[in-house]
Amino acid sequence: MNAAIVEVMQKTGNELPRAHHSGELMAALAYDVHRATGFENFGIPFCMTVEAEALGSEVDYGSLKCEPKIAKEVFGSVKDVRCLSSGIIQNTKRAGAVFASVYELSKKHPDIPVTGSIAGPLSTTASLIDPMTFLKELRREKDEAHRVLNYVTDRLIEYAKIIADSGADIIGIADPTATGEILGPKLFEEYALTYINKLAGAIHELGIPVIVHICGELRMVKAHLPRLRGDALSVDAFVNLRELKKETGVPVTMGNLSTYMLEFGTPEKIYRAARGLLKNDIDILAPACGLSTSTPLEHITGFTQAVQKT
Amino acid sequence: MSSAEELYKQLADAVVDMDEEKAVLLAKQAVSQKVDAYQAIDKGLAKGMERAGKLFEDEEYFVPELIICSDAMNAGIAVLKPHLKPGTAAARHKGVIGVIEGDTHDIGKNLVKIMLESSGFDILDLGRDVPPQTFVDKAIEIGAELILMSSLMTTTMDTMGDVIKILIDKGVRDKFKIAVGGGPISQAFADRIGADGYSKNAAEAVRMCQSLLA
Repeated sequence: MNAAIVEVMQKTGNELPRAHHSGELMAALAYDVHRATGFENFGIPFCMTVEAEALGSEVDYGSLKCEPKIAKEVFGSVKDVRCLSSGIIQNTKRAGAVFASVYELSKKHPDIPVTGSIAGPLSTTASLIDPMTFLKELRREKDEAHRVLNYVTDRLIEYAKIIADSGADIIGIADPTATGEILGPKLFEEYALTYINKLAGAIHELGIPVIVHICGELRMVKAHLPRLRGDALSVDAFVNLRELKKETGVPVTMGNLSTYMLEFGTPEKIYRAARGLLKNDIDILAPACGLSTSTPLEHITGFTQAVQKT
Repeated sequence: MSSAEELYKQLADAVVDMDEEKAVLLAKQAVSQKVDAYQAIDKGLAKGMERAGKLFEDEEYFVPELIICSDAMNAGIAVLKPHLKPGTAAARHKGVIGVIEGDTHDIGKNLVKIMLESSGFDILDLGRDVPPQTFVDKAIEIGAELILMSSLMTTTMDTMGDVIKILIDKGVRDKFKIAVGGGPISQAFADRIGADGYSKNAAEAVRMCQSLLA
């Protein structure tokens, strides 16, 4: 999750989009964010495009207030995907910046956990192939879709391993395309569960815990969640985490304060909502989804202080 | 059931069954049997898409299924279109649609467009990462009644409010109905930026747009 809000960046001058390209700046910004907001970890990097860019897609690096995005997917169909060789992600300059910042933060601040965030297999693949075609092909071209997802997942595993080797304490997998709202239960099981688990399993072999973030409504994929191999599950604001934990046995729950409330609510409302989440036995309190970069700092500190007062 | 009606139903079924080849075959059959092309689209293919939309709302179909249904519908329409009699189609409501500047997530926008077009709207797709001024200029240029915007990112959703500000500054706000949608968007957000409508999915968007223009 990108917690680099404009207010913090303007104060310190360690700004995006420059920090997407420099390990030193990325580390400095992550430290600024941690200090200012009270979030008890470092989150690296500040975007979800390092992976897809390395695998061939064109990225627009955004601005101070707008995160990078895919400008153009490189392929028109799963059938067109040419597999790039092992090591392709970690040899890019931007991946190098991620490793360098993770390394620096973990060395300088051994008591603060560093979370290395990677884009999940479905989201990365949907950033390589026009998403409308890709989604169709999950039904129509199953063999090719599996071939491509295996390839993408293999490259992500290599990348995650170097983030871990650089000193990350946790790997976060965010896979917004893998939501049941888009895929439905069958394709979620066939693809999302398979490839997120493959990736998470490989990270587990390194002895590193994994947070999986699934966007959207979970109702239709609930039956599959007990088989998801994340150590912690992070979800959107409208999911009742207490019930989810009871129903699915998810070991650690993470979430899920509405990012809308964080931006537009009052500090009092945010404080009360955070206390409510605490009462619900949520294990890791966090924003429910991507934080708006225009969120006032005062709102975030209201949130973190509500937790730290316990 | 007359043979034409039987054909409409088969066309609708082909769309719901995601059978593009069959939709094309039946559309050709409609042409050769001199069935009215407009009726074959309206009572056949579009009807099928409406049923697919219902299945989507009922969570039997999801995004991949809906896209495949729309491909089948469009393949059938492509066969029938050259045979439309001039002037048979009813006047269609016009709108522009796009993903707001800074954002390139366009799955939701595409679904809304598919559903609106199959429900008789004339929608100009401005694509993704669309600057606020372009929404305004294009809407004025084509005489649109609807301006439809989407955003999947909390970092970009505020820009949708800029479109409304530009319209107010130009003194043309009342010429348009404005609706917004997307993952982080809510009715509360729509109200806050002064949009006329919000819907949480593509099927609901059709009803919302119909009621905005009623």
